[in-house]
Amino acid sequence: MSGEPSLSPLRLFFREAIARSVGEEMRRDPRVIVMGQDVGAFGGSYREFSGLFGEFGGARVRDTPVAEAAMVGLGVGAAAAGLRPLVSITYMDFMMLGLDPLVNYGAKLRYKTGGRMTAPVVIKTTAGAKGQGVAHSQCIEAWLMSVPGLKVVAPSTVADAYGLMKAALREEGPVVYVDHKRLFPSAGEAPRDEILTPIGQACIRRAGSDLTIATHGYMTGVVLEAVDVLAGEGLSCEVVDLRTLSPLDVTTLSASVGRTRRLLTVEEGQVTCGVGAEVAARMRESFGAVPMARLGALAAPVSFNPVLEAACIPDAGRVCSAARALCG
Amino acid sequence: MPDAVALLRKMMLIRAFEEALARRPDHGFQLLSTGEEAVSVGLCAALESDDQLLSGGRSIGAALARGVDPGRLMAELLGRTEGTNRGKGGRGHVADPGVGFFGAHAVVGGNLSIAAGVALSRQVLGAPGIVAVMFGDGAFGAGVLHETLNIAAIWRLPLLFVCNNNQLSVSTPRSAVLAPKVLSDLARAYGMPARTVDGMSLEAVADAAADAARGVRAGEGPAFLELESLRFASHSTSARETRDRDVLAKMRTRCPIQRFQGALMARGEIDEGVVAGLRREIDLAVADAIAFAEASPFPAPGEALTDVW
Repeated sequence: MSGEPSLSPLRLFFREAIARSVGEEMRRDPRVIVMGQDVGAFGGSYREFSGLFGEFGGARVRDTPVAEAAMVGLGVGAAAAGLRPLVSITYMDFMMLGLDPLVNYGAKLRYKTGGRMTAPVVIKTTAGAKGQGVAHSQCIEAWLMSVPGLKVVAPSTVADAYGLMKAALREEGPVVYVDHKRLFPSAGEAPRDEILTPIGQACIRRAGSDLTIATHGYMTGVVLEAVDVLAGEGLSCEVVDLRTLSPLDVTTLSASVGRTRRLLTVEEGQVTCGVGAEVAARMRESFGAVPMARLGALAAPVSFNPVLEAACIPDAGRVCSAARALCG
Repeated sequence: MPDAVALLRKMMLIRAFEEALARRPDHGFQLLSTGEEAVSVGLCAALESDDQLLSGGRSIGAALARGVDPGRLMAELLGRTEGTNRGKGGRGHVADPGVGFFGAHAVVGGNLSIAAGVALSRQVLGAPGIVAVMFGDGAFGAGVLHETLNIAAIWRLPLLFVCNNNQLSVSTPRSAVLAPKVLSDLARAYGMPARTVDGMSLEAVADAAADAARGVRAGEGPAFLELESLRFASHSTSARETRDRDVLAKMRTRCPIQRFQGALMARGEIDEGVVAGLRREIDLAVADAIAFAEASPFPAPGEALTDVW
């Protein structure tokens, strides 16, 4: 309220921001339920659902068998019939098992019924490498970007982990919410008041004039680390955190690249047909042949082996090298 | 059981509707349920207005049996905007939840978990009604059937599984690709009531469906019905027929419509006059459906981009 001193923001862990967001939405809307492996009394593999089972009980916070295909199918079906389910897929790699109901039913339902039905489901899943090997480390969000009707969001901050989850749970169609193993232990600030992070809006995390770096999720922090180093060398980088991968915020990207006339894309997933490939193609259509480069994982599986894992995925040093090469 | 003449009429309507559709040069690609009419009609005789039915891609019989308006259905099948889905879904995706037909979904086995989700929604919201899902024997090869049987059983979902076992996946006989001798045995392993019934007998299907639906409706959890039927035509209107002509001819002597009609006549419940009257009425209904569809336009090309996001 005006006239009163504003309260300081809350300091939360990333996982707490998710639990707070889902809990608030469950209190607000009895149609919101959570389904997934170990989401009940265990509180989620990363404790990101901690407290929900105790508050809402087993009817709304449901442990499932290990059955990703059916879990996603139940989610889209329940959504089409009036619930607003959140389906938790512990590792993004296992979303492959649930793509049929998500892509063939959930994402197409509004279209195939001429707008008469929708599937407001959120698939929350965890991407990224953290020593768990070739089938538990992948970032396949770019695969999902080519599905019409499917929204894809990827928070990089505690505030957006909270705000994007709220927005996703209020969407009328399916949303895939991609978080990252390395983000869960991170802490950050979230406002005390309810906020929604609008889906479809990127965010400029750092203003700069020499180069636009477009990135998302955990890589945003890696890029910011690199940008600090580059600033010491006199290179001014603008960091665009995409936040929503589909639909892409081409407006924010275009405004940035229009200023800097150079683009570097950074992602943890594959460069081939990756997020950066789409961003670069869109910017090429707007600006012609401005200097561009893409940085992502090597074209290889991501090993559990710490040496090979580190060799495979981008780090701040590689971001710096790629930025220097573009601006040199 | 509802009025026997009404059930006979529904089976006759499905047959006449599909035949009229298949005769048209513009019908595209259709999966017909000729020979399997008793499955849809017998099942729907056990469903009430709060219930929802989901089908696979062989949807026309299911949709008509459940009460989808023939004109809107024909318009949908022919891609017209007055169709149930504005002409955007077609035969594989017809949906009309307002009359209890939650929809077809043309991925074999793909509708099972979705139906369980619809049932879950009812359970969580405390909404009345049960959910029935029809699928072919082909879905037995798919892992999601087993995942869904398991979840439906542990969560005691108000879900009736209805396997229309027409013995074939396109051209492949079920004996070549499915290990269980009796498909309903699998459901029994998950602890739900399960029966295998003659799907060519309307009365057997209707009795079994009513019995199974009663338990589901009473909150006893899911149930399973295997209905053994015969597909009189090839897989689709564009698929090659691989069976011998004499095999097909023999098969057609087991027509479920003739069988039920004969039973009603033998019991003196109807006579030739009633049948002739039904035939006239159905011919008119089908002609009306076609006229309704033909009067409806195709969507404008710009509708390719509407209702996507």
